[in-house]
Amino acid sequence: MDYGMALALLGAGLAAFLAGIGSAFGISIAGRAATGVLSEKPERYGQMFVMVVLPGTQGFYGFLGAFIVMLQMNFFGGGLAQEVGIKLGLQILASCLPVGIAGLFSAIQQGKVCAGGILMAAKRPEMAFKAGVVYAVMVEIYAILGLLVTLFILWFGIKWPEFATAAAGA
Amino acid sequence: MPKARPEQSVFEFLTYPQVGGDDWAYMSQSAQVRTLEMQLLSRTVLMDMANAPDFSAAVASLAAGEYALPQGSARFEDVQTVLLEKRANVRELFADWMLDAAVVALFKSRHDFANLRLALRRTLTDRPFGADYSEEGNMPPELIEHVLEEENYDLFPPYMRRATEQAVLGYYQNKDIRQIDYAIDQVEADHKLAEAARIESVFLLNLFRIQVDLTNIRTMLRLRFADAQHRQGLLAGGFVELERFRQGLELGSEALGQLFFATPYHRIVDAGVAYLTSSQSFLKVEQLCDEYLIGFLRSTGQVTAGPQVIVAYLLMKEHEIRTVRLILTAKKNLLDTKLILDRVA
Repeated sequence: MDYGMALALLGAGLAAFLAGIGSAFGISIAGRAATGVLSEKPERYGQMFVMVVLPGTQGFYGFLGAFIVMLQMNFFGGGLAQEVGIKLGLQILASCLPVGIAGLFSAIQQGKVCAGGILMAAKRPEMAFKAGVVYAVMVEIYAILGLLVTLFILWFGIKWPEFATAAAGA
Repeated sequence: MPKARPEQSVFEFLTYPQVGGDDWAYMSQSAQVRTLEMQLLSRTVLMDMANAPDFSAAVASLAAGEYALPQGSARFEDVQTVLLEKRANVRELFADWMLDAAVVALFKSRHDFANLRLALRRTLTDRPFGADYSEEGNMPPELIEHVLEEENYDLFPPYMRRATEQAVLGYYQNKDIRQIDYAIDQVEADHKLAEAARIESVFLLNLFRIQVDLTNIRTMLRLRFADAQHRQGLLAGGFVELERFRQGLELGSEALGQLFFATPYHRIVDAGVAYLTSSQSFLKVEQLCDEYLIGFLRSTGQVTAGPQVIVAYLLMKEHEIRTVRLILTAKKNLLDTKLILDRVA
């Protein structure tokens, strides 16, 4: 049995799953804040929208991490020519954790910041961008750092066997 | 009884106690509250009302807000109807928003205690039961009447049973009707504090402890002012130890500020006593007590989402309605503007 492959798939799954869960929680928090404000002030929909969708980006980062793992392993090019091996599988699993974990926590916290920003925007619309979006983007930076670490490991930290590049080249 | 309710000779807060943390389950409700808070009457509107030359002008100051009357109407009864409707609406909203039914029941119990107080006073002094009871409590007034007629207090919930037993016992000791109020006040305070501790709400616990302290300050000053021989009516359970209030009853007016200097209520006592001495009136004490409580409720602004936001809105809205009624009643009865300003400023 190819345990290395199982570990690699676990890594890809975790990257998408953890970051996705975080985004779902984050959006739900910001979304509930927005519905509360919109029930009284529907004209603020445009301002609220940006802050509600911001925590959703982590889910995409997780998906991107998982997608690159699959790409490197030639998932879409006819499969693998040889076993992955436990060492490589562990490397791939480790590479997926930064984007998964950073995405999980940052999305939830970003949802809370966005909720605060939405409440601020309800009372002082002119502060919606300054206090709401800018603060939320500051949280976003840490999710981006997690994604970058994952990508750097995947691209430069792992010595991929020939099958991946050869198949991709073909 | 609540676990952590020691009276404090040294306070762990400077102005207001803590209001607790966020509860994200209340996010949507809190957002609605934050939006509705913008409709609360500003200080300017209240000052305009107080400074209005007559009742009609005071009513006209409300025209731009949610208490606006139909065109041409400026009767006190119409305003009263609008205010009572708004108060009922905000209480309904509160019950809808609160996810914890125990908190709703706790706030409804205020009406139970008020109804019970009225009913017991009438029953014990052999007067008719009457019909001026609140329908917003946990227990219908008809049932209260039935229980008191039958003298079967087991039909009451535990807090009302305890209040009734203690009030009846207190009353029959020397047939003093004030004993009914003392007993009900203490049981109500105990019930609120015990429930807040059971719900594990830091905010409610601190809110009720503040309310106990403010009631004690008013009671202490009234007892002193009336030079009353009895020393009853002080409630246990607040932040300030009862001994300090008892000392306050014995000391001269000039020493009261010093006595409360180490408490967050120093300004209330200091300014309240000065006004009481110069004007023989409790207006300033009442105003300062309201101001302190509203200040605590406003400090929930640091919470993004949580039940405390909703409770604070309910109490601030009730306070606003009470203030509008107070100003309009004063204007209708041609009271001096300065007196009104002293009360609401």
